[in-house]
Amino acid sequence: MKFVTYAENSEQLKKIHKEASSLNIDLNKLEVIVGTNSLSRFSENSFSDLMEMISLNQTLKLPLLLEWDILAQENRFKNSTEELLKLPLHEFIAIRLQDPGAVNFIKSHFPWLKIQLILENGNHNFEGLCRWSDFLGEQLDRLILSNELSREHLVKYSQSLKAKIEVLAFGRILLFYSPRLLLSPLKKSEISENLKAKNLEAYGTSEESPHSGFPLIENAHGTFMFNVKDLSLIEHINELKEMNVEAVRFDLRFDNSLIFLEKFLSHALVKDEVTLGSEIKSKHPRALIKGFYNVNKSDVLFPKLKNSRIQRFDTHYLGEVIDVERDEQITLMIKSEDLCLNIGDSIRLVTPEGKIKISFIKELKNISKENLNKVSRDEICTIPYLSGIVAKTQVYLEQKT
Amino acid sequence: MTNSNWTPEILAPAGSLEKLKVSVLYGANAVYLGGQKFGLRQASDNFSAQELREGVQFAHSRGAHVYVVLNSFLHDKDLEELPEFLSLLIELQVDAVIVSDLGVITTIQKHSNLVIHLSTQASCLNIESAKLWKKMGVTRIVLGREVTIKEASLIKKETGLEIEMFVHGSMCMSFSGNCVISNYTQGRDSNRGGCAHSCRFEYSIDFQNGIPSHNEAQKKAFFMSSKDLEGIRMLSEFIEAGIDSLKVEGRNKSHYYAGTVSKVYSEAMRFYKTHGHFLSDDLFKWESELRKISHRDYTSGSLENYADETSIYNERDQEDNEYVVSGVVLEVKESDYLLIEVRSAFYPGETLEIMPFVGEILEHKIPSIQTISGTLIEKSKPGSVVKIDYMAGAEKYNLIRKKIKAMPLEAAL
Repeated sequence: MKFVTYAENSEQLKKIHKEASSLNIDLNKLEVIVGTNSLSRFSENSFSDLMEMISLNQTLKLPLLLEWDILAQENRFKNSTEELLKLPLHEFIAIRLQDPGAVNFIKSHFPWLKIQLILENGNHNFEGLCRWSDFLGEQLDRLILSNELSREHLVKYSQSLKAKIEVLAFGRILLFYSPRLLLSPLKKSEISENLKAKNLEAYGTSEESPHSGFPLIENAHGTFMFNVKDLSLIEHINELKEMNVEAVRFDLRFDNSLIFLEKFLSHALVKDEVTLGSEIKSKHPRALIKGFYNVNKSDVLFPKLKNSRIQRFDTHYLGEVIDVERDEQITLMIKSEDLCLNIGDSIRLVTPEGKIKISFIKELKNISKENLNKVSRDEICTIPYLSGIVAKTQVYLEQKT
Repeated sequence: MTNSNWTPEILAPAGSLEKLKVSVLYGANAVYLGGQKFGLRQASDNFSAQELREGVQFAHSRGAHVYVVLNSFLHDKDLEELPEFLSLLIELQVDAVIVSDLGVITTIQKHSNLVIHLSTQASCLNIESAKLWKKMGVTRIVLGREVTIKEASLIKKETGLEIEMFVHGSMCMSFSGNCVISNYTQGRDSNRGGCAHSCRFEYSIDFQNGIPSHNEAQKKAFFMSSKDLEGIRMLSEFIEAGIDSLKVEGRNKSHYYAGTVSKVYSEAMRFYKTHGHFLSDDLFKWESELRKISHRDYTSGSLENYADETSIYNERDQEDNEYVVSGVVLEVKESDYLLIEVRSAFYPGETLEIMPFVGEILEHKIPSIQTISGTLIEKSKPGSVVKIDYMAGAEKYNLIRKKIKAMPLEAAL
């Protein structure tokens, strides 16, 4: 299993090298993600900062990954490609891409450069993952999967996909990515020119949400919101190894989490420390969760979002009660294309509260109170009043004459 | 492509069969709708199989296209249920499906020859991205709302794909498909139709990271809420760019909304077809009509330049409406009565406005209101059906509205 993490500057690159060396870790088991502020969502590196890191790595020999994970409209996309073309791409073992445009660009212009494809946004089915894998073929190094996938799916995908996979093992959970600048308008007078080049950070809390303290970042790429709790699968590293997950990512860029680097390196690549989870939990500034790793039930509430009793079920459907005048009549609109209502039929009425009444049709009239024998689609008719029936009651044919 | 007679398709939302009929009758060239699964509006009525059948027949008989949304990010178990639904769509001869997930695209291609449009949910933003999706088999791209019309024009020229852009309606503040707030805070998958609209909440923002806080450590703001898109003044640019389809957001919105936006944008297109321009006082009339439906403050979003801070809607409530929808005409008995499904109360003696499918608003002063049994009443009750006097020109499914307050200018006068 490979250990993937980020280096935001030369000092961090040195630290990763030093700690891996002190643990006698084979450097090929490490991968270090680097970027620039024009290609990566959160990097504050200038082009020259990155060049300095690349230069430093000539001696450190860490496997470097270039991150190009911003989403960009055409004009911004062009700017990104211009910067990319200036970089010594052969210094990277692979490039990490999310925007399909970036994928197409690299596939067309640099077919020799391995791609680590970020599919963390959606891509929750085997069919799609296979198609991405087939599309990139030999150029694909790895698929980076969504943290909304449960263990059950990771097992299936790691065993069945041709491609290798990576998952986030520790770090912030990104909830929201907007290209618009949403924080700086609130602090306009206080943001100096110097700070504009840096990430603007804040925390958001809403009384309408049961959670408080959502971390927020704004930079040139837009505004990002993270979950109030961070993801931690550190207690499942062995399980992920056994599943044949190729790589686990430890995102230690925020909250001074790099202090845990040695422990995480040791835990993932040297020896499994059973108690590490509780130790990290006590020291990490925010709560840790396993997200959807055990199970993803984010669709179970859907049936409750609307009253199914006022929904139409097609079998034997006739129409809907559109008006009720107490002690006078019930007005129906026939909506069925195939069925009509005749004198002598029996109908089943299902109210929005779920009450069911059966009624025998002995009288049918139009709005002008003329007697009818039959009513068809799009026609309106009245039947005698029935207590307990209200507008929006659904009408089904119970028995035909 | 662009000549004085050519205009883009007006693509309206159809949250239910009735809304589909309203949109088509008011002039939409196409509608988009969802079945009970696979779309992004779980709370919307959506269509049963039979309603879908009727909806397609209704639209096709009036020359309108029907596109079916399958734009959820489907999980494996969802995908297993898709082929059966695809069989229905093939049988009904829907004109296209709108998809965002590559697994869904692949499944559709394995089971059908359905035309595939890429949903805005896939956030296609640039030429290279469009090229990739073309390789995957899509024929039309609904571009991300972050793309300008000029960029869209380039994408069309470079790829030859059909291009669809949003022209009106609510907007996600995030890149579409890139928000999972509901998933983690409400247990509802926003990308499978469970969005809880957390972006519309008010937040207290606590700044850190060395930014001086002055007297306010926290600022309260609806900082993630977007104004609504309105592109009525950009129609020339859309046409010049050769944008094939102009989409209106709002499957969860009312019949009145669906009817008004369909009527306004289709009237604008008819005007262009005749005159080859939009230089008319009618533009003010169209804008005025769009202000009579429920909306947040309008913005042109990123249609011209990338949306900036003026596109943030830092308020809780939508704008107070000048008009309220009073009802829908259910039946017309010539020289006798109009049967009205009441949406909001109105009173004898009031003047209602009937919106014909084409042409000027009909003002109708109603001396009396009757129940279906013929009892005279002093007030119509929302949710009931009443009879009012016949009005020549009124047709079934016409929307009826009522002015509830004066416009600021009129008030000042």
